[in-house]
Amino acid sequence: MDALTIAMPKGRIFEEAYELLVKAGYDLPKELDDSRKLIVEAPNENIRFILSKPMDVPAYVEHGVADIGIAGKDVMLEHDRDVYELLDLGISRCYIATAGMPDTPMNEVTPRVATKYPKVASHYYRGKGEQVEIIELNGSIELAPMIGLADRIVDIVSTGKTLKENGLVEYEKIVDITSRLIANPVSYRLKQKRITELVEKLRKQASL
Amino acid sequence: MTIQMFEKPLGMRDDFPFIAKKKAELRASGTSIIQQAGYDLLQTPTLEYYETIGKISAIADNALFKLLDSQGETLVLRPDMTSPIARIAASKLLKEKMPVRLGYYSNVFRAQKREGGRPAEFEQMGVELIGDDSLYADAEVIILAWNVLKKLDIKSSRFVIGHTQLLQLILQDFGLDSEQIEKVHATFVSKNSVGFESLANQLPIEPSRRESFIGLMSTSTVEEWQQWIDPHNAKQNSLFEDMKKLKKILDRSGLSDAITYDLSFNSHMTYYTGLVFEVYGAGSGFSLGNGGRYDGLMKQFGLQVGATGFGLRVDRLLEIISAVPEQENHTLILFDELSEDKAFDEAQKLREQGVRVTLQFAPAVLAVDRFSGLFSKVLRMEGAN
Repeated sequence: MDALTIAMPKGRIFEEAYELLVKAGYDLPKELDDSRKLIVEAPNENIRFILSKPMDVPAYVEHGVADIGIAGKDVMLEHDRDVYELLDLGISRCYIATAGMPDTPMNEVTPRVATKYPKVASHYYRGKGEQVEIIELNGSIELAPMIGLADRIVDIVSTGKTLKENGLVEYEKIVDITSRLIANPVSYRLKQKRITELVEKLRKQASL
Repeated sequence: MTIQMFEKPLGMRDDFPFIAKKKAELRASGTSIIQQAGYDLLQTPTLEYYETIGKISAIADNALFKLLDSQGETLVLRPDMTSPIARIAASKLLKEKMPVRLGYYSNVFRAQKREGGRPAEFEQMGVELIGDDSLYADAEVIILAWNVLKKLDIKSSRFVIGHTQLLQLILQDFGLDSEQIEKVHATFVSKNSVGFESLANQLPIEPSRRESFIGLMSTSTVEEWQQWIDPHNAKQNSLFEDMKKLKKILDRSGLSDAITYDLSFNSHMTYYTGLVFEVYGAGSGFSLGNGGRYDGLMKQFGLQVGATGFGLRVDRLLEIISAVPEQENHTLILFDELSEDKAFDEAQKLREQGVRVTLQFAPAVLAVDRFSGLFSKVLRMEGAN
């Protein structure tokens, strides 16, 4: 049985995905005692998990240090990497949307958009034929319209709670996001049997 | 922007001596196999016209290095070897000698937009077999690529084979127009199963055939391809018969376990018109090379002949070839003014015996111990004794 290395995003997505693998019949360690570990082994299945920042999963997979990985579609849209997208896992469902202060039109002279997803945002506004200035931020995006840095933000919305708490409203939905199973093109060919088997097992779970 | 003293242009690399040496060995063993198979090596210019090679090469426009010559013509640094070789083959010189077998080992240039370290200049080694549209030519280049990898001792290499034309015909059978087929191709090239399945739901495909359509993405043997072959379509049948024959030849040559026949496999290089393949090996996360039939490219040079070939990325091969820990025999002779004659004679004698000898004037060495450590044997000939 080929050894399989899986890159996983730390945190909530990891727990959901881990559960999905267990349900799919994989014999994984029950207790993940130390949450600060970066590498988790599942010797019974000859699987090794690499825990990384969600944004970094496609990079690990593209370079082949992880055979497969679980990555949000948002990350894949933002970082265009050469990986195979094998399956929509249907977990961590959310969407990318534009938001801002209620009833405020975009500034006509210099419309500014703050976001963690500069590529997605720029692609979206270019597609609409609107010229905007993109400001890349790394977190607390909601702050930007509140203090007048930007007219709009482009960000992930899952429940809309954060927006509401900060007095922001959603304007347009850009794209639906779920977590995807991705594979390195070389691993996909060299370990095809194992990877296809995993995809089929997960597909059954994901469609339930 | 100030440029730091040791900086190089984006994507350019220095080859340090040990890499240069490994490369020379790789080149020697690779090209020897290519020549043994009856191919003649050639070299093409580094600069080509943008209007011809630049546009024909199927390399994205923004990946081309462009410059102007003194007449104001736009030139490109050659982005691939296949199109220059097609140009040569189509010229008068070689036209009468078809089929012609040409091999190369050359550097090509592709500008990089992403992460800093990716090479924008790298070597490729490969062959082009021009003027033969039979399946035997396709089999020949695949087997040759396999033999080159074997010679380089690359473990568990794997070939994925598809067929551009056959796939096109099958997609047409599903009632898709060219625009829809292009969308399907895009998902196949990036093996985007999720995108493909959602696309399948939007395309006007008969509901009874939807499952069969989705199955296109997951084949691994030629036999599996049969289910999409329309028995009344002569062209499809003859292409499929060729694939079966090809498989037989490859099996006979010992490649049976090393090949996946994936009907949806496709190249982003648009000039491929028939069989296409890609090569993978354990140890690299990126493909080692690719190849296929490009009759359409020859047509652009005004020649109606078949052509097929492959190219391997030398930088990726280097990464994974097993490093042979070699104890090289390298002798250092340290001399000074008094022992000059004797040292020169000794060096000459040893070199004639095939030993690699570095002759060094001792007082010029700053740290004798550290310098001596670089050699397998040290002869200190200082003094007049």
